[in-house]
Amino acid sequence: MFKFLSSVGQYFLFLKKVFSKPEKPSIYYKQTMSELVSLGLTSVGIVAIISFFMGAVITLQTAYNTENPIYPKYLIGLGCRDSMILEFSSTIAALILAGKVGSNIASEIGTMRVTEQIDALEIMGVNSASYLVLPKIIATVVFNPFLTLMSIVIGIFGGGIAGTFSGVMTPENFIYGIQYDFIPYYIVYSLIKTVFFAFIITSISSFQGYYVEGGSLEVGRASTKAVVYSSVMILLFNVILTQLLLS
Amino acid sequence: MIKVQNLSKSFNGKSVLNDISVTFETGKTNLIIGRSGSGKTVLLKSIVGLLEINSGEIWYENTLFNKLDFKDKKTIRSEMGMLFQGSALFDSLTVEQNVRFPLDMFTEQSAEEKNERVNFCLNRVDIKNANKLFPAELSGGMKKRVAIARAIALNPKYLFCDEPNSGLDPLTAILIDSLIKELTEEYAMTTIVNTHDMNSVMEIGEKIIFIHDGTKCWEGNNNEILISDCEILNDFVFANSLAKKLRQNTK
Repeated sequence: MFKFLSSVGQYFLFLKKVFSKPEKPSIYYKQTMSELVSLGLTSVGIVAIISFFMGAVITLQTAYNTENPIYPKYLIGLGCRDSMILEFSSTIAALILAGKVGSNIASEIGTMRVTEQIDALEIMGVNSASYLVLPKIIATVVFNPFLTLMSIVIGIFGGGIAGTFSGVMTPENFIYGIQYDFIPYYIVYSLIKTVFFAFIITSISSFQGYYVEGGSLEVGRASTKAVVYSSVMILLFNVILTQLLLS
Repeated sequence: MIKVQNLSKSFNGKSVLNDISVTFETGKTNLIIGRSGSGKTVLLKSIVGLLEINSGEIWYENTLFNKLDFKDKKTIRSEMGMLFQGSALFDSLTVEQNVRFPLDMFTEQSAEEKNERVNFCLNRVDIKNANKLFPAELSGGMKKRVAIARAIALNPKYLFCDEPNSGLDPLTAILIDSLIKELTEEYAMTTIVNTHDMNSVMEIGEKIIFIHDGTKCWEGNNNEILISDCEILNDFVFANSLAKKLRQNTK
């Protein structure tokens, strides 16, 4: 328990260091641009592929579980839309990104720690936590909402394709379903969750990497911890934010 | 000048450095020697402020360094250059970008001036046609030289080297030693080198302190070290058979 509280305290002290005034904003700007590419753009492919197939599976499962004349066919499109917006594109995509981006960040910063690159930054008088982590946090918090929007669109498109080609419904039914009783606030809810999850993934993974002690084995352990802790915190905050934003 | 007074450091209650006092002189190559695990690296990292000390004082000229906060330490840190054991070059940057990094971070020079300084530093350490290479593409000796170029980019007053010769062949090791000595004299720096390499001790040891089990056991220079009465030091200095034979012949 004491160890847990000590780690939480250390995490907040780490955040204080991360959010201190940058030494040279122009350098941080360049770093942020580079992180937008390495953490954001490189995740487009995986998010697109998974979203397409998840949309397809959600559509088919909804169709096979509502094979009853009482249920109108357009409910399949509506189910796909709401599943993608409310849960998949924000939460499930965040869990996938925790695996990809989280382990990447923890191993990158962890390796810099064990090879004394972070010490080299400190010796130069650079606030290493801020220099290494702040651009990553800004990049993911800015870019992940776009990934979420893209995921929603591709997922619904995947659902439409799968539903149409499998013959479980007509394209007209699907299009009517995805337009039916649309609540724009759900998009806002999804994007707010995405921003929180992006912050959780980046800050927890950076924290795990930053305080690595030892060698390659410990860097590997830090990567695993980063993914596990980020995922647990995403699930916890999913419950809290859902209660706060939808109640 | 760097002055260390009554420095003690422990980890989880285990004492690593005990009451160390020493003055490192300007314009000289000061060596900290001792066996592996004796506390050399902890002493060096304490001096540069990477480790918090338990007690004692570290003075840079007239400034009590260990009592400064992060912001105030920055001023003195901008005058430091450090060569790490594993070079610690930034993997994601090229040789040129590594050397330019401190200039980008702490100067307002134009791109042209920075390029000029980068090329000057790389030429000074005899690195040619490697500007666009990444650290992974360099040999051990080249990495050390690039790390030295990065360390001197801002014309530091203090240069720290943690085992600069580890993993290098004897000839490259001598080249690195000579470079450190030349730069120390050229820029009138206070240089502190951590080493257990006796070749370095004899080549560049203008002032030497010997650490054993976290305690300073001996202080002198590379001439005095051969005629010391300190038994533990003699065990260290004359550890290999060649050195033992030489000593017998001298006697």
